[in-house]
Amino acid sequence: MSVLEVDGLTKRFGGLVAVDDFSLDIEEGEIVGLIGPNGSGKSTVFNCIMGSYDVTEGSIRFNGDDITADSTHEIVTKGLSRVSQESNPIDLYSVGGNIKLFTLPNSIRSLHGGASDEEIYEYAARIDIEDKLEEMPDELPHADVRRLEIAKALATEPDMLLLDEPFAGMNQAEISELSAQIERFRENGMTMVVVDHNMGGLMELVDRVVVLNNGDFLASGSPEEIAENEHVQEAYLAGEGL
Amino acid sequence: MISTILLLGTVLATVTGRLGDAAGTVRQQLLLPIGQALDRLLAPIDRGLEPAANAYNRSLGRYFGTMSGLQFALIVGSVVALLTAGVWAPMVGPLVGGGLLRTLALASIWAIFAMSWDIQSGYTGYISFGHSVLSGAAGYTTALLIVHVDPGLSIWVTASVSVLAALVVGLLVALPTLRLEGPYFSLITFVAVLLFYRLTTAFSSLGGIPGFGQPDVFTWDPVMRYYYMAIPMLLIALGLTFMARSNLGMILVAIRENESAVSAAGINPTKFKIWSFALSSIPMGIGGVLLVGFTGNVDPDTFVIVDNSIEMIAMAVIGGMSSILGPLGGAFLFEFLNHQLFHGYSTPVRYLFLWGLVLLVLVFARDGLFRMIWHRLGAVGGESE
Amino acid sequence: MLGDIGTLVLQGTMISAVYALIAIGFTMIFGVGGTLNLAHGALIMGGAYVFALLSRSVHAAVAFPVTIAVIALLSWGLYQVLVRWVEENVVITFLATVVVAIASTEFVLYQFGGSPIGMTLISGAVNLEPYGINARTRYVQFVGFVVSWLAIGLLWYYITHTDDGRSVLAASMSERGAQLTGVDLHAVRSKTWLIAGALAGTAGVILGSTGGATPLMWLNPLALAFIIVVIGGIGSIKGSVIAAYVIGFLEQFTVTFVGHGFRGILSLVVLVVFLLYMPQGLYGREFAHD
Repeated sequence: MSVLEVDGLTKRFGGLVAVDDFSLDIEEGEIVGLIGPNGSGKSTVFNCIMGSYDVTEGSIRFNGDDITADSTHEIVTKGLSRVSQESNPIDLYSVGGNIKLFTLPNSIRSLHGGASDEEIYEYAARIDIEDKLEEMPDELPHADVRRLEIAKALATEPDMLLLDEPFAGMNQAEISELSAQIERFRENGMTMVVVDHNMGGLMELVDRVVVLNNGDFLASGSPEEIAENEHVQEAYLAGEGL
Repeated sequence: MISTILLLGTVLATVTGRLGDAAGTVRQQLLLPIGQALDRLLAPIDRGLEPAANAYNRSLGRYFGTMSGLQFALIVGSVVALLTAGVWAPMVGPLVGGGLLRTLALASIWAIFAMSWDIQSGYTGYISFGHSVLSGAAGYTTALLIVHVDPGLSIWVTASVSVLAALVVGLLVALPTLRLEGPYFSLITFVAVLLFYRLTTAFSSLGGIPGFGQPDVFTWDPVMRYYYMAIPMLLIALGLTFMARSNLGMILVAIRENESAVSAAGINPTKFKIWSFALSSIPMGIGGVLLVGFTGNVDPDTFVIVDNSIEMIAMAVIGGMSSILGPLGGAFLFEFLNHQLFHGYSTPVRYLFLWGLVLLVLVFARDGLFRMIWHRLGAVGGESE
Repeated sequence: MLGDIGTLVLQGTMISAVYALIAIGFTMIFGVGGTLNLAHGALIMGGAYVFALLSRSVHAAVAFPVTIAVIALLSWGLYQVLVRWVEENVVITFLATVVVAIASTEFVLYQFGGSPIGMTLISGAVNLEPYGINARTRYVQFVGFVVSWLAIGLLWYYITHTDDGRSVLAASMSERGAQLTGVDLHAVRSKTWLIAGALAGTAGVILGSTGGATPLMWLNPLALAFIIVVIGGIGSIKGSVIAAYVIGFLEQFTVTFVGHGFRGILSLVVLVVFLLYMPQGLYGREFAHD
């Protein structure tokens, strides 16, 4: 059974159609890449899935459950989390504090619940920032801030992760490192969809690729097939290039 | 008159740029050496108090927050002073204008208001400008019960119903408005208090401008009256601090700092925003009941007028929002200045001074005076916070 | 009955214009800077008191524009001296402007006492009973109506037909966009506060001439302005005008047919309905989440 089923997703902003009749099926344990030129609607798709935007048409099912109208926190509780494009840590709290927030239960009665210090350490260790737990987010280098975003998502114990531009702003070495860590998540049973512009890092990581252009589905296939697909090349050249 | 103000304004605008430079120099030449001298003086005291502070940190620290030696001393000292005020205030009172116990009693009530405001507005960042609607609801409920139901009703009955009324009103305001982003919520609360004021002044069934004189004061004895106010205040301070230092506080602060992160963490922000308002309504109701017991009168100008809502905020801001204890300090400072230090001046002038002070704090020390003091004490040991 | 309706329509039309004036000033400042200027009410009060003072020594026709200029400058000054330094922090700006408003009330109380101060813009009234309307409407109310619409018209022209004004409009729609096209945000904001001050001053003179000036006269108009701005949509001038008329008529209806004590209640109900079903107002931006 598909973990995530997006069926005929359409999103309109007034007169602008950002996403048009887009469908996507993700199987358990897959890592799928979602690519497309700037403005093709990739982030909009994520925003619709996560409930940040209201869907104009279409439906989204997660593990068989219809989440089209659910609010973000409900979706996260059901096991689907996103690592967003912009890093938005809470500057008042340390790295550990930021992660801790993401472990807190959605209950007004729980005053001292949430993960223990050991568990927070574990979450941080899965993405290699366990030695930075006491530091404040504004002291961290860019790559570690991105890691913190991933650690926060991991702390919600998701079955599936949406990663929005995880490699943004990283150099080649950092990309390889992060790529390897993401691959390890899959080994532990995590299903993932990754959006990124950095083709090199992405193509190595994913099992298959789905291409969006101007809100429409353009192509889908293995990384090699997509790299050689003429339509994809045209779309990118018109936009920004592979 | 107006031209003077305009002239002043233009001059100030030009000068403020220079003022920034002047402030920097003052800090360098004057404050820094004073600060260093203070550090040398206080550091040994801090070290001496460390064992006591650490004992507290180990046992209660995770529930109420950890403290350094000096901070611990400040808290313990303040609590002891408040508990023993019945003894020392009558002696110290005449030195600062007299009527000190009355001021302290009143300050306790306002401290409750300021702390209650803080747990909701200070922490979530959704600023309520009409919090006196809650204490007003409680006060008027007490009055109406006494007038229409039974003048002999026990305080426990009237108090419980009144606090419940405050909670109900709080939920009525919170439920439709907290789904919206900040500015709307604040505007609505402002409108709510103006409307409540209009209702109470316009309708004689609600007392009109004179209000209800039937409720009794708790007692005419200044010492007993003080303790009737201060003890609940201290208990509320304890309770709210406990809540604020728990995960609830963490979530509320996160809502203020980055509400979408809270959603992304699987936590429902609207639920917690409403809960913080409900949580705030209860001590507001208690404060309202205490105010009735203090004044023996329930009228719009004491209970509902929008100025009261703004005063609560001013106290919290002066003390330091989002800390519970900051607003407590702010309330006592405000009332002390109002009734002791500025005692000789007429009401409008007193308030002009006070509002001027608030503006100064807002521009130059917006984290709050007591927060500044707290951090300064904490830094004496040489550790970072 | 018909006479009452006639009165209602007449009064409603006239007072709504003034409400629109107040609401527009408020919504402009929010639209351009994201600032909720709660001192707007104090400026209205300032307009009334300044006019009262000036009109004792000079003719009303001179005092009126001078008052507008004074209040406009006061508003501009408020921005330069205070708000500019705190405007990135919404909470602090709220508090600062509220405190200014309340401090102004204290100041006015101190200087002038609490009793209403009268002033004359134009005296005399016209008896409308021969026309079937149950009222003796004072000339000053007509003048108020005309001046309000003149001001709104001038503002509209400024915003749509001058470069200066268009930059204000642009800044209220998108700060970033405006900056990228070379708009000086600081200058735009200063201008907005100046204009809002002028509008507030005008409203103050009209309100003061029709009802007298008291230290608390600004509370009710400001509360109504909030409701109007929410219903019309924060940042939208068109929305403010339309909502002002809705609220103005609602208020007149309540006063005429229900009772003076119930003023504001109906408007509040409308507000709550809008909050629940259309929180961005008629023409405003999205402000709610689920």
